[in-house]
Order: sequence, then C-alpha cells, then structure tokens
Amino acid sequence: MPEIVSREARLSLLERMLLMRRFEEAVIHAAAKHKYIGRNHLYIGHEGTGAAVMAQLKPGDLAHTTHRNHGHIVGRGADPGRALAEIMGREGGLCGGRGGTWHMTDTSVGFQSTSAMVGGSIGLATGGGFACKQLGQGNVSVALFGDGVLDEGISYEAFNFASQYSLPILFMCENNEKPGRRETSMLAADRLLDIPKALKIHTMTVDGGDVEAVHAAVGEALARIRKDQVPVFIESQIEAWPGSHQHKPEFTTGETDISMAWDTGKITGPHADWIRQEPILRYVRKLLAEKAAAQADIEALDKKVQAKMAKARDFAEASPFPQAEGAILGAFA
Amino acid sequence: MPSEKMLTVKDAILEALFEEMARDDRVCIIGEDVGVAGGVFGQTKGLFEKFGEARVVDTPISEPAIFGMTVGAAMAGLRPVVEVMFGDFITLVMDQLVNQAAKIHYMSAGGYTVPLVLRTAVGVGGNLGPQHSQSFHAWVAHVPGLKVVMPQSPADAKGLMKAAIRDNNPVVFIEDRTTYNVKGPIPDGDVIVPLGKANVVREGRDVTIVAVSRMVQIATKAADILAGEGIAVEIVDPRCIVPLDRETILASVRKTSRALVLDAGHLDYGITGEIAAIISEQAFDYLDAPVARLAAPNVLIPCNTALEPLIVPNEQQIAQKIREMLNA
Ligand SMILES: Cc1ncc(C[n+]2csc(CCOP(=O)(O)OP(=O)(O)O)c2C)c(N)n1
Ligand SMILES: [Mg+2]
Repeated sequence: MPEIVSREARLSLLERMLLMRRFEEAVIHAAAKHKYIGRNHLYIGHEGTGAAVMAQLKPGDLAHTTHRNHGHIVGRGADPGRALAEIMGREGGLCGGRGGTWHMTDTSVGFQSTSAMVGGSIGLATGGGFACKQLGQGNVSVALFGDGVLDEGISYEAFNFASQYSLPILFMCENNEKPGRRETSMLAADRLLDIPKALKIHTMTVDGGDVEAVHAAVGEALARIRKDQVPVFIESQIEAWPGSHQHKPEFTTGETDISMAWDTGKITGPHADWIRQEPILRYVRKLLAEKAAAQADIEALDKKVQAKMAKARDFAEASPFPQAEGAILGAFA
Repeated sequence: MPSEKMLTVKDAILEALFEEMARDDRVCIIGEDVGVAGGVFGQTKGLFEKFGEARVVDTPISEPAIFGMTVGAAMAGLRPVVEVMFGDFITLVMDQLVNQAAKIHYMSAGGYTVPLVLRTAVGVGGNLGPQHSQSFHAWVAHVPGLKVVMPQSPADAKGLMKAAIRDNNPVVFIEDRTTYNVKGPIPDGDVIVPLGKANVVREGRDVTIVAVSRMVQIATKAADILAGEGIAVEIVDPRCIVPLDRETILASVRKTSRALVLDAGHLDYGITGEIAAIISEQAFDYLDAPVARLAAPNVLIPCNTALEPLIVPNEQQIAQKIREMLNA
C-alpha cells in the first residue's frame, strides 16, 4: 500500500482538510450574515475522504461530484474566494454566480461537474473515463457520490458500462448511511459493494474517518486504474455529521476548535460522540501521537488556513451580484 | 446537375458521419447496435469496420447512463454522436439531457461546452404503435440550451449533420424514418448547412406553408395539386426548430399574406402553436386570414394499419385547408 510517510505530505493533507472545514464554516457565517436561502449540503465530517482523493489527482484528471460538493472543489484546488462567491451568487464566483452551491465547476482544475440531481454526475464521470481512455493521456476520471446514488438506476448502468469497457474511473462512494437506518439510501443488497462486485468491478472498503487509510486505499486504486485501465470502487464509511441534512447552514456541532484534539475535556454537549471521532481532530491526535507535529505546528497551520479563508471571505463579500442583463445570456455556446 | 450524385436521406447522413469521423478523430458514435450490427435501420453501416470499436461503441440497453456518459465525454474533449434508437426513448435520457446537457454551458458561465449530437429516428407509418412512433421535438425545443434539427432532403440531412457535429452545443437531430429512402442530389465536397437557416423549398405568391421534416414532402404534394388549380404555394422549411429562422418565415408571410403551419407531431402545445404565434405577433398587419394549423390530433398513435394513416395530415387535407383560407 502506498502510504504517506513524509511529514510534509501529512501536514499538507491536514491543511487540505482544514481548508475544507474552515470553508464550510465561512459558508455558515455568510448564511447567517446575509440570511440567504437555499439548500447547502456541507462537507463537514467527510474531509478525510475528499482530501485523500483530491491530494492524489494529477493535472488533467477529471472530477465529477455531488450536491455535497464544497469540500471537493476547494480540496481540488479551486480558489476558495471564488468558490465562496459562487455560493453567495456573486459575479466573481467560479461560474459567475450562475451555478451556486449545487453546480460549481472549475475548468482550470478539471472539476467537471457537481449535481443537485442525485445520480446526476455518475454518468458524466463514466463519459469522462471514456474520454480519458480515448484521448490516451493517462488521465483518470473520478466520481464522488453518496450512498443514495446506488438507489438510482443510472449508477448500475454506469458501473456495467465502465466494467464492460474497462474505463479508468475511480468510483468513490461516501457512505454516510448506517445499515438499516435508511436515511439517505434504501438498498436491498446487504452491502452496497455487492452491486459493483457483481459487475466485476474491483472493490475496497475503508474507514472514512481515517484520512491516511483512505489515502492508502485511493493510492492503491489510482495506481491500478492508471496501470490496468479498469474502474475501481471504494466505499468510504463516514460517520454522518449531525448537521448533514439541515435546511439552513448552522453550527450544529460548534465552530471547530483544533485544541480539542489535545484538550479533550473541552468536548461536551449532545454531539460530543461525533466530535470525538471526527476526521480532523482524529488526524491531529494521530500526528501528535506519532510526533509528526507539535501542538504549535498544528495551531500555526490552522492559523494559516484561517488567514486564507479570511481573504476568501473578503473577496466574496466584495464581489457584486451579477447584472440582470447577463442572466438571460449564455444558454448556448 | 450531372456531377451531383444521388443518395437517400439515410445514406446521406451516413456519408456525413464517415466524413466527419475521418476529419476529426474526436468524433465517435455511441449507441445500441450502432457497431457490429450497423444500426437497426442500417444507418451506421460500415462505420464499425472502418473506425473500429474504440470509436463506434456498442452499448448495453442503458439509455440514461449512455447519454450521461456522452455528456461527460463531450465535456472532456470528445465530439460524440449518440444514437437513441427510437425517438420515443428520449424519455429515458430526459434527465441527463434537460438537467445536465442543456444547462452545463450556462451554469459554468461558459467554462464547459457540451458538443454532442443526439441522433434519433421518429415517424408515424410503420405500424409501430404508440411507443415507437412519437416525436418529442416540441419537448426538447422547449428547453433552453438545446438545438433541434429536423431535416427532410438528403442534401440538407448531410449538411446539417456536419454542422451539428461541429456545433459546440448539444444538438438533438431528429430524423423521420419515412424520409430515409427519399433520394436526392448531394453536392460534391464538404458542404455545411448552417443550423438556424431556413430554406424556401418552393416559391409562390398566394400562401406560405411552414413545415419541417416529412411535412415538407407532404406539403409539396399538396402544392402540386393546388398548382393545377392556379394556386401558388410557397413552402418554407426552417430545417431547425431551434434556433428558428424567424426572418425567413416572416418575409415569406409578408409576401403571401397567408400562413399555414404544419407538423407531424401533436397539435396541442406543439410547434405549430409557437410558429403561428410568432407570425401573428410579428406579421399581423400583413395577414389576410388567421394563421392556420394542421398537425396530428391529440391521440396516441394507434398500432393499427387502418387508424395510423389518420394521424399525420395528408396532402388532401392540406390542399382543402388552403382552399378554405383563400375563400375566407
Ligand atoms: C433525483 C433526485 N432525487 C431526490 C433528490 C432529493 N435529495 C437531495 S439529497 C438526497 C439524499 C442523497 O443521499 P446521498 O446520495 O447518500 O448523499 P448525502 O446527502 O447522504 O451525502 C436526496 C434524496 C434529489 N436531489 N435528486
Ligand atoms: Mg448518504
């Protein structure tokens, strides 16, 4: 398994997770300040999965994701100021404010698609894999999606096609469902992996709360995909954030206090169990325990990310709303 | 012209596919039975042998995923032509067509384009019944972001297919099976028929017929009947219903002062209503009679050889309608 060993790589992975988290916190602040309406599906609690995937994509690789997409796009390297501006509907947004929270894309980093339709991107990702193979540049296509996508027929069709035609695709399922709970999916199969497996797709399961474990699994999968030109399916098991399905972005579990990693007495309240095992604090504890970083290093890293997000917020706040005339243009290329 | 060769509509489109695939290796063909079988109507015959399985791709019976993957492939740099075997099956790709393909350019503020052609065959007449004879051109034309092409002659079909493949938007290319064996001259060389440019198929001073696809051919028969009665019919074929060449339609109506709009699709909430409204709004002062319409009645298309011919307006009904318009 290709593990990450260097201290720099580990800290960079943590930085990516922190950026995803602090970004979502900026979204919550912006929502409170501007009272804006509309659904936002925050990526809190999923960072271990998105960061491990995005850290290992190469230039030219294609990413296709879901409604729970904010972490994916900033994790992939899109400008956080432009991403936040997009969510806030501003002209300076990644898509000129036309995509919003649900439809952010960024051509500059191969971020092809996010979709408010459950299952909306998995077909596109399959086409991305088809194009990667056809164009022969050694690139891969990645689909990140929730367990709910397996309820949609198109996922089965996409797996079948990808398998039949040996397409270079990483199917990364962020499973935040619990067996029998039926909150975001309702599968008759015992395990969701049984479905791609039946179609002869290589499958893996990983603990989504352990970023290095996800990193290792994704590294192995990507190596296999690039070398053998085959799809691989990974199920990343995620402990859903208690605010995952809120209507308005709110601090359900409070603003992240990184010192809770070493000062566990600070963790209290109804969601203490979730906070105790959430992927960022968990990774910080691991880095500290393995002496890869000191508390001061972690605090400095978090400060750096917060400073970056402060700039991003300033940019987004300063960006104007689009002109009305522009709204009717652009349906056609 | 003796130098021009004669081809059927079906073979003219096939020739366009051969030429475009040879010209640009990003062009590929995707669909059920398009490869080894050469198409259920022979409409992709020989492509697989010439261009191979990587570019002429047989798929499982998985329309939503096949169309979705075509959208993704188009965004990622290919220029696919995807075939939906029967026009009726467009319902199966509707989500990816309407909620993805049509919206990506706008939602990404021009960051992504979706250069694909959705090719499908429609047509009342084979006794194929209510699930294999419909045409949903009005449905797709209603969605901003989709272009809709409906050719009728071999030369147009070839030139429009080439234009559709080179267009940077999702283009729905609707072929009427009843026109497949119509033969006509094909100009030599790489001739493109631009999308959104109407063709005045026949000139006349008394009345304008606006019609696309097979209705142009039926209208021509009606015009021949009326010519014997001294009535000169002008036929305007928009060729594309999106974008629609309003100017050519309006110029013709301003000349003749009468307009009849035809469609092989259903009358209610269909394209005849849209085109009639445009004429009424923008050429009202020129009209000597209300804009008239003939289209399929709002019933499903029966799987019955006795009832099926009652669906699509025929040349006798068209001629009679025009006589009434002129006598009004
Ligand atoms: C086609 C479609 N059906 C239903 C919905 C409503 N919806 C929004 S999010 C969601 C749950 C999706 O679950 P999952 O894919 O597991 O993602 P999660 O939210 O758990 O991350 C549903 C049903 C939708 N957006 N699209
Ligand atoms: Mg879920």
